[in-house]
Amino acid sequence: MKFEAEIGGETVGIEVTGGEDGRYRVAIGPDVTDVDARQAAEGIWSLVIGTVSHVVDVSERDGISIVEVDGETYRIRVEEETRYIIRTRGGKAPTGGQVLKAPMPGKVVLVEVTVGQAVKPGDGLIVLEAMKMENEFKATVTGTVKEIRVRAGQAVNPGDPLVVIE
Amino acid sequence: MGIQSVAVFSEADRESLHVLLADEAVCVGAPPATESYLVIDRIIAAAQSTGAEAVHPGYGFLAENAKFAQACAEAGLVFIGPPAAAIRSMGDKVAARQVAVRMNVPVVPGADQPIGDDAEAARIASTVGYPIMIKAALGGGGKGMRLVRAPGELAGALRAARSEAGAAFGDASVYIERYIEEPRHIEIQVLGDAHGAMVHLGERECSIQRRHQKLIEESPSPFLDADLRHRMGDAACRIGTAAGYVNAGTVEFLVDRDRHFYFLEMNTRLQVEHPVTELVMGRDLVKQQLRIAAGQKLDFTQDDVVPRGWAIECRINAEDPYAGFIPSPGHIISLRPASGPWVRDDSGVYSGYTIPRFYDTLMSKLIVWGTDREAAIARMTRALAEYKVVGVQTTIPILEHIMRDPDFVAGRLSTHFLDHMMDVDRPEAAGRRRNVALIAAALAAYDRAGRPAPSPTAASQSAWRQAMRPGRGAR
Repeated sequence: MKFEAEIGGETVGIEVTGGEDGRYRVAIGPDVTDVDARQAAEGIWSLVIGTVSHVVDVSERDGISIVEVDGETYRIRVEEETRYIIRTRGGKAPTGGQVLKAPMPGKVVLVEVTVGQAVKPGDGLIVLEAMKMENEFKATVTGTVKEIRVRAGQAVNPGDPLVVIE
Repeated sequence: MGIQSVAVFSEADRESLHVLLADEAVCVGAPPATESYLVIDRIIAAAQSTGAEAVHPGYGFLAENAKFAQACAEAGLVFIGPPAAAIRSMGDKVAARQVAVRMNVPVVPGADQPIGDDAEAARIASTVGYPIMIKAALGGGGKGMRLVRAPGELAGALRAARSEAGAAFGDASVYIERYIEEPRHIEIQVLGDAHGAMVHLGERECSIQRRHQKLIEESPSPFLDADLRHRMGDAACRIGTAAGYVNAGTVEFLVDRDRHFYFLEMNTRLQVEHPVTELVMGRDLVKQQLRIAAGQKLDFTQDDVVPRGWAIECRINAEDPYAGFIPSPGHIISLRPASGPWVRDDSGVYSGYTIPRFYDTLMSKLIVWGTDREAAIARMTRALAEYKVVGVQTTIPILEHIMRDPDFVAGRLSTHFLDHMMDVDRPEAAGRRRNVALIAAALAAYDRAGRPAPSPTAASQSAWRQAMRPGRGAR
């Protein structure tokens, strides 16, 4: 089965075959590796590559795999090859805007902008309270506030759009 | 000690570990702390309805609230902590500074009164001199604290500090003090009994902080020599005695580059990081608290206090260290804590537990002991590598980075340590295990796509247990 993996701004082709008795062959580009892999618990993978034993945490968030191994953390988007092609060829060209989404569940404490306001990178947009701490979220682009989807006092869930900048 | 325990819990904490482990448990209200853990009457009622004799306030919520200590006393309950009067004089940081000044203990320059409106704040700030620190008059734990480097940032920082202080402690009063550059945060543990004895149990170095909340603590501090330890310990005991302090307390100091120390505040409760003191001193602080609350005399003197070896604590929080430490509440899919000799895991979570979004992000404290600092760092490095949490983001990766950092290893610490480190350390920058990570991510995707892949089974889970507890077999 073929996958495309996005890691650190790069896209890498990966092919996985096998799987009987936990033995896989994984090709990353031209490099082929034989792996003996077991899930010790959900999301905790034991990989034996040659004689080297790794324990790797893999968790999913918003379609991204967060992988922790030997003190290193990677964010990798892995997609089956066809899906990747459809998404990247069929998608619209990036507009350069920003949709600020809630990265965590919490409560909106303050909306710092109004619709129509011009913003630049670093300008505060919204303050969210979660787990007793207030966190300010800022604009990453230059643009105009097109929509504000929330108001102060409102509870939000991860992924909820908060502010749209064009 | 054979004492039966009663846990209080909010509706969001029904599945918390403290509820599972207690002998009895009482629900005290809705998830927001202002409707449960901070409602004094409900906590008192829970104690009375179960026939409890004493209340341990822990280290959050009402732990430093004099009204609560007073309410316990009036209800005939023993408050396991200092008398209400001592909390009032030391728990209020403004009053505490005045006590320190009276006892000839140096303090950081600043206003010793809560500030009024923004105009007054601006006036005080310019007198004290930027950069300044805004702090909540009540409480601690970094809540209601803001660093202000320039006058333009003052109004926003005041608003945030007051709002956080009000939500966390029920009092929005804040004060201003001068910010010391490159400071170390070093605190002294004291214990006083009701018969006038006051001893100190050495220091804890707590300079590794993010957003003014501690992340790593150790005892002793690599920065203190015997003379400075003695002088700071003596100053801490003088302040405690002057305040009529009884039970366990912590006197916090800032220590500058030139080894001048300044009194910061006194925490009138047990600290989160008390285990490092327990490990180097060989004394159970909670047990001491219970003995003192029962009116017993301290069974040791200052001369008996002899530290042994080195202890380090790492806080494992549900936060994303690579996204500004934003909270990462949620469901813990899998959890495998570290174990082994001289490794202690003070955890409040378990596999299958959902971390509620209402409270602190602290999941567990991992504490190790070693014969010296080098041995303790090596042991912590090994323990962190063993510790696996799946489902929420944790501080473990950044803790592992810190244990390898040359400045940390050399003991060159300051409260800005993490800011410097975060500038250079980003995910995917190291790259030593990039291919292993890619293989694991691809296998997980392959697994999800329904290809033959081994799922976790009862047999494979018990294999972990067997590996962790040799000779005991799976249960």
